[in-house]
Amino acid sequence: MHAMIEELASPLLMSILLGSLYCMMALGLTMTKAITKISNFAHAEMVTVGAYAAVVVANTFRTGPIEALAAAFLSTAVLAVVIDEVVFKPLFNRGATSLHLMVGSIGVGLAVRYILSIFADMHNMLIAQTRIMVQLVAVIGYGTLTTLHLWVLPTSAITVVILHFMLTKTKLGKAMRATASNFELAKVSGIKTDRVRRITWVIAGGLAGVSGAFWSIYSPINPETGWLALLWIFASSILGGFVSFYGTIAGAYVVGFAENVGITIMSRWFGIDVAYKPLIALAIIVVVFLLRPTGLTGITLPSIRTVTSRLVREIRAGLKQQR
Amino acid sequence: MALEILPLLTSIATFYGIYFILSLSFNLEYGFAGQANFGKVFFYSIGAYIAGIFTARILWGMAGVEGVDFFSDFAADIRLGVAASHPWVITALFIASLLLAALLGGVFGYLASYPALRLRGDFLAIFLIAVGEIGRVFVRTYEPLTGGVYGLSGVPNPMVWLGDPQARVFYALTVLAIAFIIHFLVGKLVNSPYGRLLKSIRDDELVSNVLGKKTPWVKGQALIIGSSLAAVAGALYAFYIQTIFADDFISMLTFTAITMVMLGGVANNAGVALGTLVLTLLDRLTRPSVLNMIGITVRLPFDITYLRYVVVGVLIILILMFKPEGLIPEKPVKTPALEIAKTYNNFEKKT
Repeated sequence: MHAMIEELASPLLMSILLGSLYCMMALGLTMTKAITKISNFAHAEMVTVGAYAAVVVANTFRTGPIEALAAAFLSTAVLAVVIDEVVFKPLFNRGATSLHLMVGSIGVGLAVRYILSIFADMHNMLIAQTRIMVQLVAVIGYGTLTTLHLWVLPTSAITVVILHFMLTKTKLGKAMRATASNFELAKVSGIKTDRVRRITWVIAGGLAGVSGAFWSIYSPINPETGWLALLWIFASSILGGFVSFYGTIAGAYVVGFAENVGITIMSRWFGIDVAYKPLIALAIIVVVFLLRPTGLTGITLPSIRTVTSRLVREIRAGLKQQR
Repeated sequence: MALEILPLLTSIATFYGIYFILSLSFNLEYGFAGQANFGKVFFYSIGAYIAGIFTARILWGMAGVEGVDFFSDFAADIRLGVAASHPWVITALFIASLLLAALLGGVFGYLASYPALRLRGDFLAIFLIAVGEIGRVFVRTYEPLTGGVYGLSGVPNPMVWLGDPQARVFYALTVLAIAFIIHFLVGKLVNSPYGRLLKSIRDDELVSNVLGKKTPWVKGQALIIGSSLAAVAGALYAFYIQTIFADDFISMLTFTAITMVMLGGVANNAGVALGTLVLTLLDRLTRPSVLNMIGITVRLPFDITYLRYVVVGVLIILILMFKPEGLIPEKPVKTPALEIAKTYNNFEKKT
């Protein structure tokens, strides 16, 4: 029993790290899907661009992680807004279907990925990693807890908390939820949908960039990094219902755990080849779509307020009954 | 010069034929029936692997060599030798593989109709992309069947007994002939009442349902036909390329086929022929070796492949923004009634 815990420590730590990264990536995907109705395949490229921005800043100016993360956030936020203004908004305004928007995002993704490849090839960075040292904090079983964990976990937790308060407490969050639930109605009610869109893209792109920057500290990157992670991000988002904020968070951690702890258990005790690891996330997508397209929850971005208020009401009623 | 240009021409012709079948099948499913089958590469790889495994295993059985690994280069050479000395066998195997690929592609297409009836638009597309990736990861990892990352080699060119340049030329001609036969048949199909039924489902499923058409089954039929065509294209690819790697079957191939259809014209087979031609030429001609042959030395500080993909990506965006209907837009269906109306109009004008 003790040996088993020691063996599982490494994949557990890994899945917490990856789960937090997937969470930050998938939240952006979910938000853009809910508010702009795009299944954004170019989201992968924002991760890669953020990673490269971090590499360039950290390695050229020899900065610490904070500056690299800030550079990643800024560059991808700008990129996301530019992509939206140039491609997605005109397409959306012409009444493109969700499928057309998706094909458009595939085109954008291809263009960005290979422009980035050209850039990386010219500067000899087809495989790159930031020169930010990760220190060992503790050894648990066969696993190691590093400073990277101590950066990623709080960042992702703080992100979730800030987004939660923004969506539930502020006027902007209300406008976002209204736009997600009914675009036309939000527009005629006087919500500046263009502004909501832009802010959504800043958040989604920035988060993708930050997680890309973390990725470049965690392992060497190449221009395909984001594209290869994309199906995992989609799996997290889809498992959470694709437009659900809290579902996505849960989905990201489930995907992270399933692919690390799950494959360790399967290969150690059932003799399944580790090379089948990618199948787990893919199988999640397929199974969720076939059996339960609403994912883990039915909680969508617009219905957060109603659910929370109902919970509060029920708890109050319960307390009253107890008295 | 002529000897150098011949392999280039045959490769362009063969790939044109293969991609033409692939984009015709996508056009049938998406352009006419409205089912976005983004798992195209999955059905294509099914065809390629069925043809490859079937042919290679039978040739291997005929060779009867013991103690050699089936996936080794030596074994591949033995298989090519057997194929070269038995013209009738390899021709029969070629035809049988095509039929088998079409059959199994159809079966998998029928399976794909299960999600297609439940999911719509981009959800179906993501689902099928995931299925395609599952297929790729599986064949890549499951070595006993497919050779894993090392690939399945020694699938002979079915005209290998003709000698080197002739075999390539005749194979290219065969592929083109098959492609144009399929083009003709698909054209017949979509101009028939059945084709109008497909279009009606694409435009408004509810209406055709109300008119008493079994729309789920018709959509399933479109996927079955499309998938078996894609599998035939995959089988032709396997016989041409002779070594099949799992990593040849990435989603990029699906996206290329989609771009071909969207560039040429959705729901217009002539347009698809044009779009396929443009993208095949772009794909084949922008290779450093080919450019060298024409006499252009490329001095770029990066790999030219990247530039090609950038062009494809930008092309997708431009088509969507400025010409979503494609270069040759959809035409009205050629019904007998339309013909009569046209002749009547001409008659009116003359008198």
